[in-house]
Amino acid sequence: MSAPRASSSASTSTSTSSPPRSIKGRPEGGLGQVRGELVTRPYPEGPRPRFPAAMRTPVHDAARCDASGACARACPSEAIEVQARGQGEGAVFRLDYGRCTFCRACVDACPTQALSATDLFELAVRDRRDLVLEHRAGSRAPTAPTPPTSPSASAMLTEVQERVQRLFRGSLSVRAVDAGSCNGCEVEVGALTWPSYDLERLGIHFVASPRHADALLVTGPVTVNMRLALEKTFRATPDPKLVIAVGACGISGGPFRGSPEVLNGAGSSVPVNVWVPGCPPRPEALLYGLWLALGRLEQRLERGEVPAARSGSGQKA
Amino acid sequence: MSRTIPFEGDDAPKSAPAPLPPRRRSDGERGSEEERWVLGAGRAGPTELGRSGLWELGVPPGWWRATSLDLLTAGAHRISSLWAERDPKGVLLRALWLGEAGTRGILVRTLLDAPPPRVESLLPELSPALYFEREIAEMFGVEFHASPDPRPLLLHYRHALPPMIAAPDRAPPLDERSRFDFAPVEGEGVYEVPVGPVHAGIIEPGHFRFQVVGEEILDLEVRLGYTHKGTERLFEGLDPRRGTQLASSISGDHSVAGAVAYATAVEHALGHPPLERPTEMRRGALLEVERMAHLLGDIAGIVLDVGYAAGAAQANVLRNEAYTVLEELTGSRLGRGAVAVGGLARPLPREGLRPLAARADAVAKATVALLRHLEERPSVMDRVRGTGVVSKEVARALELVGPVARASGLDRDVRRDRPYGAYRGTELRVTHGSTGDVEARLRVKVDEVVEASRLFGTFLRRSGEAPAVPPAEPPRDGPGFGVGLVEAPRGELLFAVSLDLERGKLSRVHVREPSYLNWPAIEYAVHGNILPDFPLCNKSLNLSYSGFDR
Repeated sequence: MSAPRASSSASTSTSTSSPPRSIKGRPEGGLGQVRGELVTRPYPEGPRPRFPAAMRTPVHDAARCDASGACARACPSEAIEVQARGQGEGAVFRLDYGRCTFCRACVDACPTQALSATDLFELAVRDRRDLVLEHRAGSRAPTAPTPPTSPSASAMLTEVQERVQRLFRGSLSVRAVDAGSCNGCEVEVGALTWPSYDLERLGIHFVASPRHADALLVTGPVTVNMRLALEKTFRATPDPKLVIAVGACGISGGPFRGSPEVLNGAGSSVPVNVWVPGCPPRPEALLYGLWLALGRLEQRLERGEVPAARSGSGQKA
Repeated sequence: MSRTIPFEGDDAPKSAPAPLPPRRRSDGERGSEEERWVLGAGRAGPTELGRSGLWELGVPPGWWRATSLDLLTAGAHRISSLWAERDPKGVLLRALWLGEAGTRGILVRTLLDAPPPRVESLLPELSPALYFEREIAEMFGVEFHASPDPRPLLLHYRHALPPMIAAPDRAPPLDERSRFDFAPVEGEGVYEVPVGPVHAGIIEPGHFRFQVVGEEILDLEVRLGYTHKGTERLFEGLDPRRGTQLASSISGDHSVAGAVAYATAVEHALGHPPLERPTEMRRGALLEVERMAHLLGDIAGIVLDVGYAAGAAQANVLRNEAYTVLEELTGSRLGRGAVAVGGLARPLPREGLRPLAARADAVAKATVALLRHLEERPSVMDRVRGTGVVSKEVARALELVGPVARASGLDRDVRRDRPYGAYRGTELRVTHGSTGDVEARLRVKVDEVVEASRLFGTFLRRSGEAPAVPPAEPPRDGPGFGVGLVEAPRGELLFAVSLDLERGKLSRVHVREPSYLNWPAIEYAVHGNILPDFPLCNKSLNLSYSGFDR
């Protein structure tokens, strides 16, 4: 039997096209059918996709940098710093992908094309410091090396990671917690469940309660008003557990950094295991972050750069 | 003596209307400046405010309530927003009132210069004033005399001083929660269900307090503010050209609408010349494809919450396609960073626009096909029909906006009623329902996806080849105050911007998201519904938490 058509109870129908013929039990007219394609994108199991339309990730070429500071002035997120050093030492260029909102203003502002826009999206890291790039302007020589992770912290990190890989066996139940985001990250996190990304094909799924979760995925800068709820949600999640901080807000407070009503990121309230930059991170960037959390992919970014050895496939053999 | 304030349509002569009859002084000792109808301008009668298409009217605080209620009743105006601003002499209150389509809005202001700032409440006659007044009370320390609900709105913790008044070092909240009592419901078998702030889905945080008998909802009270980020204060002191990023992050799921409303307000305040037609068309195209993606999300949410996963999956595939089109145009799936003050941040691609229009068209056709498919599913239609009704009377009393208002039979749409940018001189079909239930909202949203795809194609065709990038140095000879009104996917979105023209900095930015007006609707929509239908009511209204809390 069929339901009543556009009935008199709602006077809204002013449709412009006739309905196509019905296929038993399936919605029709979907894009997959229109174009005859599979809608689910193969990443991360398939090859790394390219996004030529989305050239937004700034990459810095120290040799071309004249330390004009135009990029820092153009950046709305204070993600770039250009610091003059002592005489003869040259200026230092510093870029924090954890604050970057990928607006491209720095690339457009750079007078020497030292900054270029790329579609690099596998930016997630386990150590917050790997999101920070430091270059000496005008040279290829590295700046003073960043102090390494303290042995205890690094050992702990590895231990957690190993336990997770052993216990979760590549599968993950995730509880999403919005700690005050603008709802942009929720669009992209939610998109992971759409057929286009189909997270569950990877053995990862979102659960309704922290009691069912292995991992918390935290978005938003952590508002003063959400701090308690976030801490309680963390405590309600059984051990061992992972925390994934998502987006410029979740990492550093993003555009809201410095407001007295926010705490500048998830790290203020809970221990973070994986950081996923973006504003918001595109679904593929989130997939990469989730697989990184599970140890199913290698981290590509190291001290803010992709080392030449890792510029190929990030996938584990 | 008549207190009716004249207003005129856009076709009217551009000079100020006849001065209003002088009012007798209510208390002889108050300064003369505040007693003039127009503050600052020094002339009698409403003045024209730059290119905003508004009349501005100053009244003394004692006349605030009477003037407002006159506009409401005799003037048949509705309040669009009510906000406050720091002033060297005290606190400045402003309200934007909108009349019939095509008429000019009226901006009423009053200066509360006698400490402590105090004015009569516009309640109970003006329901939408409730949230506005509660927010101004906690943020600026204004006392609304005879307000029936003095509870805080956005702040959960006490502050040493009202945060919009306090110097930065006194602004952080204290470690002491403020008191907040929910309205109790008593009786045999009545129980309370608290939900949130952390919800079961991938959605924003807020708290719902249900009073239930059996499965039936007797009452619902919503507590918000969990995502309050102090955003309006963050704008202060910024170069106006740098504010688009924050404007896009008020409700990040309609970034383009936020950026366009903000940029429009700033352009008016700076005295920017009208944008070139192709630039306006490009902004229009971005707004419409964003609308498609956003509304498809609502449709997916409704279908998911009736438990029909296959239908929701279909809608989400279409939504993803709309975001992909937006990415092709702007480099960002959500259109972030695309709009700039004075134009667009960078030119849109010139090639491949025709296929994008075809893709949007395919999405629209598939959306209609999905609706037809749903109509043949009794288990879907049974859940949406008659559920979550917001009557026309309630919609009018609450002054709802957007698809929610249209589904309840209010025929209002900024794009048609106060056309801006690309919508000037563009035919627009506005559909509205009558039943105000989830089904009506579903149908209105499907129709709006179709119309948005048509407009998207039209705007792309007309966008031409002209450079779309903004001038390096914007002018600074405007009135220093501007308003941007945009029909966001959720409805009328307002930015009001005050500038320090000398220093070239923002001095106050107020944003009133469509959801600010629409949130109370949910407390009405659930009456008499069963608790399991709450998610359905919620999704069909699609209220923004971050847009409300900021």
